[in-house]
Amino acid sequence: MATEALQRQIQGKWQNSFARLNRDQQGITGLLGFSESWTLATDFLHPRDLNDPKANREWDMTQVRNAVETLSRSKMLPLLLENFLEEMRKQQYLITNDVNELMRQYENTEDIHHIARLIYRLLEWYRAWVPISELGHTILSAYTLTFQTHIYSTLPPSFSRGFKQLINATFDLAGTRTAPPWIPPTPAPLQSSLPIPRPDLPLWSSFEQLGMLDRYESLISSVCYEHIEAHILETCTRKWGERMLQPLREWMTNKIVPWMVMPYARGARTAEEARSMLQGVGSRFDFHVCKTLSDLRTREIFDIIIDFPDSQPALEDLKECLQRVDQRSQLVQTLRKANRKRLLHPGADTKDIIAQYVSIIRCLRLVDPPGVLLFKVADPIRRYLRERPDTIRCIVASLVGDGESGDSLVDENEPIQPLQQMQVEDYTDPSWEPEPIDAGPDFRTNKPSDVISTLVSIYDSKDLFVRELQVLLAQRLLAITDGNFDRERRNIEILKIRFGEAALQVCEVMLRDMTDSKRIDQHVQSQKNMILRPTIISRHFWPPLQAGKFTMPGQFKQIQDDYASEFHLFKPDKMLRWLPLLGTIHLEIELEDRTVPADVPPLEAAFIELFSQRDTWTVDELVASVGSVDRPAAIKALTTWVDLGVLKDEGGNRYRLLEVAEDGFSSSSGAPRPARIVEEVPAVLTVEQQQADQMKVYWKACFIEGMLTNLGMLPLDRIQTMLKFAPGYDRTVEQLGAFMEAARREGLVTASNGLWKLSKR
Amino acid sequence: MEQLTMSLAPARTSQKSAVSGSSGEGAGSVTKRLSSELMTLMMSSSPGISAFPKSDANLFEWAGTIEGAASTIYAGLTFKISISFPSNYPYAAPIIRFDTPCYHPNVDIVGGAICLDILQDKWSAVYSVQTILLSLQSLLGEPNNASPLNPDAASLWDTPEEYKAQLMKHYRPVNDEGSA
Repeated sequence: MATEALQRQIQGKWQNSFARLNRDQQGITGLLGFSESWTLATDFLHPRDLNDPKANREWDMTQVRNAVETLSRSKMLPLLLENFLEEMRKQQYLITNDVNELMRQYENTEDIHHIARLIYRLLEWYRAWVPISELGHTILSAYTLTFQTHIYSTLPPSFSRGFKQLINATFDLAGTRTAPPWIPPTPAPLQSSLPIPRPDLPLWSSFEQLGMLDRYESLISSVCYEHIEAHILETCTRKWGERMLQPLREWMTNKIVPWMVMPYARGARTAEEARSMLQGVGSRFDFHVCKTLSDLRTREIFDIIIDFPDSQPALEDLKECLQRVDQRSQLVQTLRKANRKRLLHPGADTKDIIAQYVSIIRCLRLVDPPGVLLFKVADPIRRYLRERPDTIRCIVASLVGDGESGDSLVDENEPIQPLQQMQVEDYTDPSWEPEPIDAGPDFRTNKPSDVISTLVSIYDSKDLFVRELQVLLAQRLLAITDGNFDRERRNIEILKIRFGEAALQVCEVMLRDMTDSKRIDQHVQSQKNMILRPTIISRHFWPPLQAGKFTMPGQFKQIQDDYASEFHLFKPDKMLRWLPLLGTIHLEIELEDRTVPADVPPLEAAFIELFSQRDTWTVDELVASVGSVDRPAAIKALTTWVDLGVLKDEGGNRYRLLEVAEDGFSSSSGAPRPARIVEEVPAVLTVEQQQADQMKVYWKACFIEGMLTNLGMLPLDRIQTMLKFAPGYDRTVEQLGAFMEAARREGLVTASNGLWKLSKR
Repeated sequence: MEQLTMSLAPARTSQKSAVSGSSGEGAGSVTKRLSSELMTLMMSSSPGISAFPKSDANLFEWAGTIEGAASTIYAGLTFKISISFPSNYPYAAPIIRFDTPCYHPNVDIVGGAICLDILQDKWSAVYSVQTILLSLQSLLGEPNNASPLNPDAASLWDTPEEYKAQLMKHYRPVNDEGSA
């Protein structure tokens, strides 16, 4: 039931609305006027069909403006907008049809020209439907939003692909003056204020009007990224001989920046403005250049290091890139992986590993002077090298500039300097710097030390090197026959600078032994002319030599004894002990029909001497008469003579002297067997292998003894954990148990209740 | 932030500056030094002296053994000592005590404290466990009677028989169970 109040209320409302629409005009003229305006405005705004020529009719713009004015005064614009949007929705199928048609064509031909047409078509639709500006900003933006929402929902997924191709094509346009046929000439009102209108300008303007720049921004930049990547891969791959970063940046300036003006700085009126607009995005692209280049160089790093120093420019590039992009851990990982795959495996020569390691040191020092990268990369290599039995030998060989290694690890130009020991940090040093921020927990402050120091520091003590040096020196000294030791002396002097005088005292003694022997020999020869020329060495200072214990028979023994007695006269306090396995003997064997000259090792000489007593010997008899010689060595010695045609293998371990040459061998000089393999037996025991093993045992024993002396009785597992103080200790507790058991059998330790202690001495 | 010019070259000159070193570094280098000293000590065969960390967890506490040198009055006797390294070793001397009672002019018979110049004001970072142990070993045979910690012992030094009797009265042979 309508109450009084309600009626009044309705009445009020009605009056109000009427007044609004009638706009205080007489009667209902206002209403009529409003009605006309509404019709006119909606007609005018009605989204027309572009394909229907009839729909395109001329409007009297004053009338339209008046109508809009009227509606605006009646506050009916929101309603008009609503109506307009509704109309748009109804007409949308027109656009959808066009889009579908053009996209179908594109999908069939993959021709970006259809995409360009689509863009222009959409733009036409947009312009055809756009409401006049008098309707105000709100309506315009509502229209744009609705329009864009609609076309985005209509565009099929393949549009992104096509759009990307289109953008890609604009790269070529940026440089040219003439537009391809699919781009219509720049419309006059869109002429930009930039001096030279670019052929791709209309395209970009269309993108912007359709809101595509915002929507597809990541797509556009990804096109640019890909462009940059492709260019870098093409120009820089495996080109390490020159700096690439600067040329790349120039390329960016010449090629990419002009292109960038379109998508990112179209509105700029001056170069200054364009620059500031490009700043952010340009920085991103520059970052991408650095990143792509550093990724590329990171992938190539192993080969770059192999090529060092030819590849130095590439490393400088990498250094610059790494300062901009944080790819250091990436670099470390890649290099570690490459090293593991290509370097640290049994197939690689120790020499090569060391050479590569040295290159890595040099390269990474270049890239990262504080040495953090190097430390992280070097660690696995050092650990691996430590396991290799011949590492020390290789390093030492390169130290003394062994001929075979060709170019030595040491740079000739580097000053020789003493080995640098790891030092505690000197905080009083005014130029002290803290460790770099990404240094690992056990990063060693890597003062730029020389390569040799770094190599020597692979091992915990340099004693190992000195010992290996002695072995190597012994080999080389014994191999010298012409009495010229200058080279070795020079080496020793150089090494003294590195390792210090004290460490090389032994080597000094060895060298003096050589010169002394010459002097002693001269003296002995002056007393009594002898054919024996011994090298006299001090046993204590030489590494263990091959010490066979056989005695030379017959005339050789006589010669040795004679020499020994002369020597004893000269140096009464010294005794000569012969090392019969070393040296060579020149023999001339006079047989019935021929004379055979030969330079042979002592064992061979000893055997042939025995054959002068009787013609046929068995191997066992020969071995028994010279003393302890192992059988393979004996057979080898006999084979030498068989090869020379002096002995004949009669089978059953019997050998017979051929007083008369047999057919086929005839005179020995006539048909020497070419296949004879001369085997050089190294004079000095190759200590490395056995010693390394012994060393481990020795260390272990020392440590166990040390701990049991001081800590009394210990259980096995305690010993095991304490042995972590012994560097390089890698045995299991079972192995330790076996070792302790062996020590117990030898009476070194005793065990009770699972506790081990040293035996009382 | 980054300055961008049209050439896109970054004007970047300042290196990343490291913020701080790790605080554990000090202890780390001491540990390194102690490990290498242990290594040297184990590898050298100095007769009659020896030392080893008391446990694998703490490298700063060692136990040591010193045997009296032959032809001194201490010949045949074995003394246990304990060595405690300060955290700023080797810039400060380790603290060394005799665990086995040692009747000696320069050793406190009760607490085991030692009066030796290199362990006090004459300490230098070039000394090592090995040199300390060697010094102690020679100190046994050649006491410094001018500044005795144990005046009785200093006064008896010139009468070896009485001295030996006193020495043996205080001496207790090392037994394994006690120190393990």
